Amino acid sequence: MADIDFMFTRVRDSEKRSLRSLRLIAATFTLCAIIFAFVAFALDDTFYLRLASEALILAGMAISVDLLLGICGLLSLGQALFFGLGAYMSTMMLIHTTENFWLVLISVLLATIPVSLLFGWIAIRSRGVYFALITFGYAQVISRVIYNTRSLGASDGIVGVPVISVPLPFYDLSLNNPIGFFLFMLALVLLIVLALWWILDTPFGRVFSAMRVNEDRLPFLGYNVRGYMLFMYVLAAVIASVFGALYPMLRGFVSPELMFFEMSGNALIMVILGGVGTVIGPVLGAIILVTLKSVIGSFTEHHLIVIGGIFIVLVLFFPKGMVGYLRLHLEKFLTRSKKAERS
Amino acid sequence: MESVLQYIQFVLASQMLNGLAIGAAVIMMALGLTIIFGLLDVINMAHGEFYAVGGFILMVMLGLGFDFWVCIALVPVLMLPVGYLIERTLIQPIFHKGDRHILTLLLTFGISIILQDLLKIIFGPNPLRPDNPLPGGSEIFGIFLPNYRLFLIAAGAVIVGAVWGLVYKTSLGAMIRAAAFDKDMAGSLGVPVKRIYAGTFAFGIALAGLSGVLLAPIYTVFPTMGHDFILIAFTVVIVGGLGSITGAVLAGILLTQVQAISSLYISPVWSEPLIFAIMVLVLVLKPQGLFGKFGNG
Amino acid sequence: MLKKSKMLALASVAFAAVLGTANAAEPIKIGVLTPLSGTYTVIGQQVKWGLELASKEINASGGVLGRQIELVYEDSEANPSVAAQKAEKLFQLEKVDFLTGTVSSGATLAVGQVAERNDRLMATTVSFSSAITGSKCSPNVFRVNAHAGMQAAALAAWLKAEKSEAKVYFLGPDYEMGRNTVAVFKDAAVSNGFDDGGEVFAPLGNKDYSNFFGQIRAAGPDVIYTSVAGNDSVRLFTQMQEYGVSKGVQIVGSAGTVTPANIGAMGNAAEGFVTGVGYSPLIDSPDNKAFVTAFKGISGGTDPDLYGADSYGLLFLYKAAAEKTKSIETDMLRKSLEGAEWNTPQGVKKMRAGDHQAEMPMYAVRIQDGAFTIDSKVPGDAAIGGDACERF
Repeated sequence: MADIDFMFTRVRDSEKRSLRSLRLIAATFTLCAIIFAFVAFALDDTFYLRLASEALILAGMAISVDLLLGICGLLSLGQALFFGLGAYMSTMMLIHTTENFWLVLISVLLATIPVSLLFGWIAIRSRGVYFALITFGYAQVISRVIYNTRSLGASDGIVGVPVISVPLPFYDLSLNNPIGFFLFMLALVLLIVLALWWILDTPFGRVFSAMRVNEDRLPFLGYNVRGYMLFMYVLAAVIASVFGALYPMLRGFVSPELMFFEMSGNALIMVILGGVGTVIGPVLGAIILVTLKSVIGSFTEHHLIVIGGIFIVLVLFFPKGMVGYLRLHLEKFLTRSKKAERS
Repeated sequence: MESVLQYIQFVLASQMLNGLAIGAAVIMMALGLTIIFGLLDVINMAHGEFYAVGGFILMVMLGLGFDFWVCIALVPVLMLPVGYLIERTLIQPIFHKGDRHILTLLLTFGISIILQDLLKIIFGPNPLRPDNPLPGGSEIFGIFLPNYRLFLIAAGAVIVGAVWGLVYKTSLGAMIRAAAFDKDMAGSLGVPVKRIYAGTFAFGIALAGLSGVLLAPIYTVFPTMGHDFILIAFTVVIVGGLGSITGAVLAGILLTQVQAISSLYISPVWSEPLIFAIMVLVLVLKPQGLFGKFGNG
Repeated sequence: MLKKSKMLALASVAFAAVLGTANAAEPIKIGVLTPLSGTYTVIGQQVKWGLELASKEINASGGVLGRQIELVYEDSEANPSVAAQKAEKLFQLEKVDFLTGTVSSGATLAVGQVAERNDRLMATTVSFSSAITGSKCSPNVFRVNAHAGMQAAALAAWLKAEKSEAKVYFLGPDYEMGRNTVAVFKDAAVSNGFDDGGEVFAPLGNKDYSNFFGQIRAAGPDVIYTSVAGNDSVRLFTQMQEYGVSKGVQIVGSAGTVTPANIGAMGNAAEGFVTGVGYSPLIDSPDNKAFVTAFKGISGGTDPDLYGADSYGLLFLYKAAAEKTKSIETDMLRKSLEGAEWNTPQGVKKMRAGDHQAEMPMYAVRIQDGAFTIDSKVPGDAAIGGDACERF
């Protein structure tokens, strides 16, 4: 009896350590981000703060891809679809209906649920490459439809989204304020990351870890695997669309390119770069990729080769991504200190 | 009655015959893809780029003075070592991992990005095109079809036949099928599995390159030409069944006919969503495609 | 380019002469945000050549207001999201004084908005869409090239002179530019008494047009108008030739349909094609001849097309406007640009104040033996059309 208890504690401990190292990474990242923000503010910068804000918006899409890939093992090649839908809906609302930030976000969230339920229900019936192709197809087809719809701006997109402010409890944050927008995005991203980590640590969330280890056994234990996956699909879609809704608030316009495969592909690269399944990894991946593209773009127009090359190197040699490897080393470090403590 | 017959002859049949020519092109592309997926379990996202490479090598060869008909044989042969190398150095290392489907998909995705840009750097962004080696057209039952398209239909049939024969009637083909069915067993029976894998990938790539050569006179050659076929080729492979040659042929014909006939009645914009809807339908109702996995015809 | 010492001497002289510009020796930075990768690279390349040649010539003759022009390039990737981000980079980090180079209408519109928010001016030398100086016009956006309506006017006038009546079939790529161009020409054609024989829009990047030849043949048109471009043009024209659809039919199209970039691949399939365009390398004027020669020197032998020529002309407009008002400050420059007249290889262009659209003579150009020969000419004021801009 004592042996089983002991094994249980060991497993629990290693899980705690794993989560702890992730939290450490997240905390370090937040610290660096805040330092960056204030340095930029002091230097009177607008461009880098807004670029970083865009990176955080894209990080939301990357997190959405990671939820499916890292947590459920489902590769989605069309997550940009929901990102784009959120962006378009947000644009239409801001131009025609309302300038209330929260109203827009909530509407987008509520609207995404039925759509993603339908799409997910169809797609989840397949796995692996078929799922990937179905999601690819979704994005292709719907982006084509929007590309040809005159009332949605067709291929030119829609410009003229007004700059709004976010009514916060103590303060009205104008989204024209670069450091304000960035810090707000940072808070939002961290909130989502922490919320997701919390969910994954509950009994509900653990079913996903079980799914990753041995999916076939779960139905025998009474779990509806498809139901869980559908939940995650909808959650991922909602996160993607909510962050998509933020895009026109930053850039003032929307265009069908937001739904093209290039966007989905970029999100995927961010996930692989940062670390699959870590939730914070894609955020780091987003920052790195956006920075890389901006920097490489100034030197050469052949940025595609560089990015493709980096990607291949990652897949071949570092499939766990930055955070994946960082976490391993951190865990070892924490174990050693734990061991030292005990002895 | 008379006008219905006329309609069938001049509009419908003409459209269908034309669709057959397009179908030949699509089948050639899907063939390589289904072999690679069927045997190697590798989703080759870069298949379109190898099609482009074939087209560009053709233009280089033509520039060097080779004859078009010679290039049809020459270019695929030149591409074999390229495919072999890629499989041995890039794909096999990640092959044993559990999530290899996703990893190979990502890897080939990375390769496709690089190839596209590389082609643009080497050849420039402008389109290139070889002269039509078979200009003019013929009348078949009163329907006009350009000679080169007729040639494509014939070439497609020959290629399909040759590949089918190779896979099902030769000992090499038997080894390939054995390795697809049970890698370890085949290995212990003396089949050089690693070389078979690399060779088959090379063969699939060579087929893509061959398509690039054959289609260059009508579809032109430019760095992003791979995008022409991505969705439809994958759809044909899935609908027909992974690894099934018969499936690829039948699905290829079916889908291009659907496209050809539907373009008479609905706006062309809906053609792609229609194909996609068919793919989703098949995936949901019969995920292994119409004809199932490799080795089953 | 002048030697550094000479430049400095010139700058100090200019400084004494020019009022209120404390940094006379500093170069004027012009941001060039153009597709350097992706489908529209070909166009971006012509834009780049045109601007480089112009800046070289202007700098050699003393620059603008005594300051040298410095071009700062960024790749827009023909993606409005990327373009908007890079535009911010150019305005805020590089502190460019003016921006140009955008190709796709979506990018021009998005970047125009960024320019407004950064209180700077920009100009497009490529985008055709009527909306840019029409329904979506902006006080900070100028257009020096001909828009779709102007092209249509020139082409319709030519067609009217050739045939008094004909049935026209319309075929275009299914996106905003393709549809807009077809709609505009259809208007011009119908109002000139031609029959509308039907239309079909193929997806952008469509590889096989043979699916549509049946219905085109059934319509029995005398004229086919198309707004495809780039690779799509090569495929459409060669396939039409393959199937004999173009036999006995006059093919006409938009200005971007056949350019030096894709005519090589088309072989003789483009023979006889006519379009309405603001430029041809064969325009018979000493200015143009000098321009073409200089351009070929910088491009490695490629002829300039409308994009290269219009981009070249832009910098001379900038110079003229800046020197008239002796300043490049945004509001003053804007006023100076409105109503400006300047010399280009195509002739004299006028910038209409009401909508920031340039007025210029338009040509009907025919492909003959692979060259862009000029068939007829329409004066600028007849071609330019109405002012649909309401914002300012």
